[in-house]
Amino acid sequence: MRPPALEVRAIPNRIAMLGSAVAALGFFFLPVVTLKPNRISAGVPFNLLQFQGDYRYIVLFALALVPFMIAFRKDVGVRGWLLVIVGNLLMLLTLVLPAIAGQHLLANAKQYLGPNAFIQNPRLLPTGGLALGLVGGYVTLFAGLRDLERSGVQGWVRSLAAWLGVAFIFVLLVAGAFNIYSIMVEFHTNGALLQQKFVEHLMFVAVSLVVGFVVGVGLGLWASRDERMAPMILYAVGIIQTIPSLALFGVLLVPLARLGDMHFLPSLEVFAGTVVVAVAVGLAYRLVAGRLPSRVQTAALILVALIVAVPLVLFTGVFVSFVYRAARIGFGGGGGFGGIDNAILALVVVGLALWAGRRWLFKREGAFRLVLRIGYLLAYSGALVVLMVMMVRAAATDQFLGSVTSVQALTIRNLGVSGIGVAPALVALTLYSLLPLVRNTYAGLENVDNAIIDSGRGMGMTPAQIFFQIELPLAFPVIMAGVRNAGVALVGIGTVATVIGAGGLGDFVIQGIVNTSVDQILLGAIPAIALAMVLDAVLRFVEGLLTSPGIRHVQNT
Amino acid sequence: MIEFQNVVKQFPDGFRAVNGLSLTVHDGEITVLIGPSGCGKTTSMRMVNRLLSVTEGRITVEGRDNRDFPAEELRRKIGYAIQQIGLFPHMTVLDNIAVVPRMLGWEDDRIRKRVDDLLELTGLDPDVNRDKYPRQLSGGQQQRVGVARALGADPPIMLMDEPFGAIDPITREVLQDEFLEIQKRISKTIIFVTHDIDEAIKMGDRVAILREGTLVQYDTPDTLLARPKNRFVRDFVGADRQLKRLGLLRVRELMVKDSPVVSLRQSAEDARRAIESAGVKSAFVVDEDGVLRGWVDREGLRENPDSLLDAMSEGDFREIGVRQSATAREALSAMVARGFRITPVVNEKGVLVGNITLRALQELAEQGWAEGEPAS
Repeated sequence: MRPPALEVRAIPNRIAMLGSAVAALGFFFLPVVTLKPNRISAGVPFNLLQFQGDYRYIVLFALALVPFMIAFRKDVGVRGWLLVIVGNLLMLLTLVLPAIAGQHLLANAKQYLGPNAFIQNPRLLPTGGLALGLVGGYVTLFAGLRDLERSGVQGWVRSLAAWLGVAFIFVLLVAGAFNIYSIMVEFHTNGALLQQKFVEHLMFVAVSLVVGFVVGVGLGLWASRDERMAPMILYAVGIIQTIPSLALFGVLLVPLARLGDMHFLPSLEVFAGTVVVAVAVGLAYRLVAGRLPSRVQTAALILVALIVAVPLVLFTGVFVSFVYRAARIGFGGGGGFGGIDNAILALVVVGLALWAGRRWLFKREGAFRLVLRIGYLLAYSGALVVLMVMMVRAAATDQFLGSVTSVQALTIRNLGVSGIGVAPALVALTLYSLLPLVRNTYAGLENVDNAIIDSGRGMGMTPAQIFFQIELPLAFPVIMAGVRNAGVALVGIGTVATVIGAGGLGDFVIQGIVNTSVDQILLGAIPAIALAMVLDAVLRFVEGLLTSPGIRHVQNT
Repeated sequence: MIEFQNVVKQFPDGFRAVNGLSLTVHDGEITVLIGPSGCGKTTSMRMVNRLLSVTEGRITVEGRDNRDFPAEELRRKIGYAIQQIGLFPHMTVLDNIAVVPRMLGWEDDRIRKRVDDLLELTGLDPDVNRDKYPRQLSGGQQQRVGVARALGADPPIMLMDEPFGAIDPITREVLQDEFLEIQKRISKTIIFVTHDIDEAIKMGDRVAILREGTLVQYDTPDTLLARPKNRFVRDFVGADRQLKRLGLLRVRELMVKDSPVVSLRQSAEDARRAIESAGVKSAFVVDEDGVLRGWVDREGLRENPDSLLDAMSEGDFREIGVRQSATAREALSAMVARGFRITPVVNEKGVLVGNITLRALQELAEQGWAEGEPAS
């Protein structure tokens, strides 16, 4: 048994009091659910006291006040455990009890809604009381975890305590215990569509992020290697970021439609022309930059950056559209998502293998070095094979370049570029991902201490060794922070892409807005939020895995 | 042997950092480059391993022009330690030290053994420190790892750019002493850059004073202090150069055995006779093991003529004596602080081995002064 933590100074747990207050506020004063006759009509709000035919809800009133009383206990360790239990229970019961009480409401919907209501697929919309109950439970749980931390309970025990309730709720969710709530009703009606839109969303975010990563990190590298190019590149990607996303979609509409109409071979000439102009202007600027007065210099810089950005945007746009189209056809083939599932499974396996090998990752000695090297080789070649399969499968279908018989007939549209649809969304998203990626890559590499590089040179490391063994590992956490920023931002901006017909989770949101249906908005928004959080967590995991423990504490954003 | 032959370094902006430097760095010696900032000392050092290129003239390493080798190959044969240490923060101590051996393709077992040896040599417990990251070490420990890393592949030559510059004065003294001990064993050819004249005198077998890219004087520290070539050198080594010179001499080399010694077992009468026959004012008192226990003088004997124990002044050998390994400067300092004109010299166990007088030290300093004065 754990000895009571008497030595810890026991002041009342104010956070627990707050949790108690929040939950009580919700239960006593706000409606917990709204009974709606169908998706669109406004319904009738109910608070806890108005539930009839079931008196289990009384537990919730009592439970909301419990943390307040526990908060004054002096034994911090026991208090922590009690708060954790109450917090978990509060979250669980806040979801479960109204759902049970709601059975009665739904069964007698006519009675509550009046004889004139158009009842089709009635559902319970969770409202303020329920939300505050959940928040109060979470705050109580958090308060308990703090007490446990103060009384020296181990980290993994605390994590377990924190996630147990959530895990149980998730099990109930999968088991169908919450099907009565409107969002779940909506989910069951639109389940297949949601899966499709989710995959779509995931794909255009992933493709833009990957292409953005290649282009952005490349530009960041260039900027850090060439100090006279650096301001031009940083300005160019900075300007893109200032355009509102909706406007950027609009701005891209016409040029991409025109571009799509072009034949492939002449477009190469146009592209080459823009590259030549950009290079010429860039070189000219580099020559005169030092001699311009500073105010003119900034203006000239912005102009040059814009001109340089043109071929960049062109190339990125065509490239990203092409990759997306290939991936969509290669992985999807229309109906099932078998390819995606396999790819995700492979990623999980590789991730677990890396996790298992993390202890040896930074020791360059021993038998595991060989195993690891082979493992990495396999992972890389596996990724290559997957890509190849994707391309081959894509090329083999009629959807891909099916109607094109010669290079002369090939238009840019065949490569996936068009004015509306996913192409402008991809281009815009990729462009938006550039700023955090370029800036973080540049900053990460610039911030590597010169003395460290000097000692590397002095010991006889070649420039390549210095880059791969010193600069890149040291800049890696900063670059990854940029990737995370970009990824999370893209998931959000991606929901706007629906307005130009790109699809994705934004479809539900915009439909919900049009129909004034909160359920549909949530059906789009909640997966998007979940996706952003999971993406951030996965990237953090990868970052933690590949960052040396020697510098891990420094980068903790 | 490293030879600078009329070396000129001109930077792209036209600044001549080094202007016709000729200098021979002898094998197995520490050659210190020193001078005011901008004198070209670091530039000169960085041209040896070609971190900077030579504009005119040439630098030979073991008889061959250093441009005969590819730069990276040359650098891997030359140890390199800098003031900022520059340890790789994302690598463990082992990996840091193993950088050059790995580039040279050593076997893992050999590398591991070498790293452990180097850690022990630099006073770090291998089992405790091998797998630590630099941020887990103190500044002094990091600098030790820095030195160990420079020694990684056992290079015959080392370049050290103010390696102890960023460390607190007490730790710096310790590291300097330790490094001199290490150098006694490994006898590397070392170019050591510093701006601290005390460090130069302490560490250098020879000291080269540079000014505006040219060599002003190149001599052993003793010669430099005793006979500065011109006003610049005299000012640079400081007005207290005589004291500094005393810092180069060990008490062991200067002490004599002309003071009378009496044992605790002997009588007051024996002590008086010993003092009178030697014609001095006092005698040292030792116990049966020869350990210094105090002293007795004529006055004390006059007041207590019957008992040596009552007549003598007792004192711990650590407080009234100086160690034979101390420098003459430390002995002088101790004598001034205690108000002694003569001080006993003891070994590590406290056994009296000789004595040294204030007058002797004064004469030594004056002699140097007379020699060092320019003829004009």
